[in-house]
Amino acid sequence: MSAYLNMSAGPHARSRLSTGNVMRDVCIALLPATVVGVWHFGLNALLTVLASVTTAVLTEYLFDRIAKRGATWRDGSAVVTGLLLALCLPPTVPLYIPILGSLFAILFVKCFFGGLGKNFMNPALAGRCFLLISFSSTMTNYKYVDAVSSATPLVSLANGEKVNLLELFLGSGSVTGVIGCSAAALLAGGIYLLAIRAITWEIPVAALAVFTLFIAIFGGHGFSPAFLLANLMGGGILMGSFFMATDPVTSPVTSPGQLIFGAAVGLLAAIFRVFGSSADSVSYAIIISNLLTPLLDEFVVPLPFGLRKGAKEGSGKSSFSASMLRPAVKLTLITLLAGVGLAAVFNLTKDTISEQKLQKQIDSYLEVLPGATEIEENDALKAAVASLEGKNYGTSFGKIKINDAVQGLDGSGSEVGYAVNVTTGDGFDGNITMTIGLAADGTVKGISFTEINETAGMGMRCKDPEFKDQFTGRKVESFLLNKSGDSSGENEIDSVSGASISSQAVVNAVNAALDFLRSHVNG
Amino acid sequence: MSLTRKSFRGGVHPEGHKELSKNASFETYLPQGDMVFPLSQHIGRPASPVVAKGDRVLAGQLIAEAAAGLSANIVSSCSGTVKAIDRHRTIAGTFMQSIIIENDGLYETLPGIGKKVDHRKLSQAEILAKIRDAGIVGMGGAGFPTHIKLAPRDPSAIRYVIANGAECEPYITCDDQLMRNYAPEILTGMEVILSLFPGAEGVVVIEDNKPEAIQAMLNAAAGKNIRILPMPTKYPQGGERSVINVVCGANYGITELPADVGCIVDNVGTIYAIYKAVCESAPLMERGVTITGEAVKRPCNLLTRIGANIGELLEVAGGYRDGSKAVKILAGGPMMGIPVDNLGVPLQKNNNALTFLTGDPVADSLQVQTACIRCGRCVRVCPQGLTPQLMSAAFEKKDYERYENKLHGLECISCGSCTFICPAKRHLTQEFKVAKAEIMAMKRAQKEKEAAKE
Repeated sequence: MSAYLNMSAGPHARSRLSTGNVMRDVCIALLPATVVGVWHFGLNALLTVLASVTTAVLTEYLFDRIAKRGATWRDGSAVVTGLLLALCLPPTVPLYIPILGSLFAILFVKCFFGGLGKNFMNPALAGRCFLLISFSSTMTNYKYVDAVSSATPLVSLANGEKVNLLELFLGSGSVTGVIGCSAAALLAGGIYLLAIRAITWEIPVAALAVFTLFIAIFGGHGFSPAFLLANLMGGGILMGSFFMATDPVTSPVTSPGQLIFGAAVGLLAAIFRVFGSSADSVSYAIIISNLLTPLLDEFVVPLPFGLRKGAKEGSGKSSFSASMLRPAVKLTLITLLAGVGLAAVFNLTKDTISEQKLQKQIDSYLEVLPGATEIEENDALKAAVASLEGKNYGTSFGKIKINDAVQGLDGSGSEVGYAVNVTTGDGFDGNITMTIGLAADGTVKGISFTEINETAGMGMRCKDPEFKDQFTGRKVESFLLNKSGDSSGENEIDSVSGASISSQAVVNAVNAALDFLRSHVNG
Repeated sequence: MSLTRKSFRGGVHPEGHKELSKNASFETYLPQGDMVFPLSQHIGRPASPVVAKGDRVLAGQLIAEAAAGLSANIVSSCSGTVKAIDRHRTIAGTFMQSIIIENDGLYETLPGIGKKVDHRKLSQAEILAKIRDAGIVGMGGAGFPTHIKLAPRDPSAIRYVIANGAECEPYITCDDQLMRNYAPEILTGMEVILSLFPGAEGVVVIEDNKPEAIQAMLNAAAGKNIRILPMPTKYPQGGERSVINVVCGANYGITELPADVGCIVDNVGTIYAIYKAVCESAPLMERGVTITGEAVKRPCNLLTRIGANIGELLEVAGGYRDGSKAVKILAGGPMMGIPVDNLGVPLQKNNNALTFLTGDPVADSLQVQTACIRCGRCVRVCPQGLTPQLMSAAFEKKDYERYENKLHGLECISCGSCTFICPAKRHLTQEFKVAKAEIMAMKRAQKEKEAAKE
């Protein structure tokens, strides 16, 4: 008889949940963002997603075979990793990017640490950070379909430009960014996951609340709704809060632990965004917070109900409030302290930073006007700069802003020339700010860069004498970029090879300075 | 009354399956086969036989006397001849010294049984003596001797006497039927207990998936000073700690008893038995039992005799449904029930159901078992506020120091909620049962070592 009956310790009932359908739910929640991304960015976005997911699953499958550890590739976690990684990539990346990223994520971050449930960092984010470090130019090159490189909403925001909030929300129009950039779609997915209880509220709520609060206090625009909304919808904080930080494997298991973890994500993301220089704040914030998880699980173990003495006398009060209050108070204190500390450091260094900036600017003026020993402000030029009101200068120079224009004098007080400080937004990686020294007749006397973040070894080579000295001593109406490196004309400038976007931006900036001076000094 | 009914934190919602037997009214069944009475059907020391092989016994006659301390009497539930006093297989799969009685099928009862008594004329000591003599133990499953539970150190500190009719375990419906059919008797039993604790309030808790039982109890409670408290349907709502938390907000740990927080909790079946013992002079001979599960032809609720062969009870329920066969048989329900490997065992005082399953969710779950994904669902559903995920990790490393002191693993009540909810299908509760047993064994060994030194 006993041979025919199953024996096992209880319980003998099981819910319908399984790791497979937990993963399936995350995929369903990511579907809107994927669809909008593919619809918005086109075929390459689709190929990126497919390449990423396929590589992830294939890598896990092959590792299963080699390590002889059963079919873990079936549990769907590799699909989620591949999909999450793809949605965090720019839509125009070459296909080796998602393939390498997925391979790194699954093999190095997940499989080598013991597979599902054992990785200490979110594999998709670790993959993204690996790509950001190894292929920084490709990973931050946000081009829209017509291949015109354009700034992401956050870069525009940093430049003081208006951001179209509706387009940003829907992920439509001219919005650029990663494939999963539609705030509406991400929000819908996040709410779906909350509604079916696939994720808990603690992490996203804590992350978004602390992030918003910090940006409002230190972001420089106060509680401006447009600014806060743009910050919330751009730059991956939604993707991070709802899909990345809530990755169960790399977040704490207890409710108070999750609250602290979420707050850490929000705080770090905001600090990196406001004060950091990296292209990405959220990814690093989350993978650093991932490292806190074992610690949080160690220290934030709630007291079992039976040992909570507060409710012993049967006051009728729920033990919930007592258990939640303490971590919440601690959390608020930690956040406040961190905030106050940062504010203090910021205020102490603020003045020094602006003084240093000013000195740097004066130095650059003198550098580009050999022979000049002092700088004098010219009322006419000052008025001309002011009249631009910070708008782009002219129509044929791209995103050019004239910041300042001054006169340089030598020791005897006679004129050496003029220095024009311009910023172009057309660099390959954000802004290039430079000073151009010009004689009164338009002869270029020198060029110096005060701000340039182009790709090392490529766009950065605009700073090299080989490129910038081509301008010096030449007197032309306007310069022309020669991309083939065989310039012959009097006004032609050889492009830095492999960095024609950066080179063109510099040429345009020089031309703008020439034009500006012609119209306001000689004219 | 508040709109939302109070409940404990955590818990799960397994499928109820109560519709199988919910509306099957009690059938009284007098078993015909031999009756077997294991000497320990309760927590504590086994009872000592007071009959010998060959003795003729009557239904209601004492056959084994409670040992000193924690123990309970055992009464024959049929008339017949003592066939043997020998080791016999039990429902838990163990072998235990048992009194085996050849049932003559006459059910000749001891004189005096059924005599109506007005409990208000009895002293507290007389009431407790009647309960002790009747051999009553906790009939919800635990089997704790009732006369000891009802005699706490400080009876005046008891503020609540709670009748537990939650019946949160899936499949089981015998308490539901008992409340529908014997509401006045249960409430009289409540009054008997309340007479032991004059300062206490009587509360009957019932899950709101039993509206008929709630209505029957409300009707019977009219004019009585006993509160009927419906609770949300959620497992383990009927757990003693959950019930107490809902009724008065108190919590207590493993080192304490309900009486330490001013509560006495008894299953409605136990209270019905108290009524029978005190007011009808009938010792514990029968109980309600649900014979259910998808494999059973005619799921039903029986009012039958303790000691009956469970195979015979299955036949009363029509045997197996045509073309189906039980893959797993449970004494109790699927959450806390224990598996049965042999139908040749007797029904005990604390067996409220026999569940015959056509499929085994445990075996099925092994197909989709994965590594723990640390999702924390187990932490959220734990009614004791424990961290099963961390406990499991500590168990796997055999770090019992951390398991016991840091994670308070011994507070686990083995309700199975964590194992039920786990998407990775980890065997959490099962690990905790092993951990508890091993830690207790270690403690015993330590104690013995110390005792040997002295």
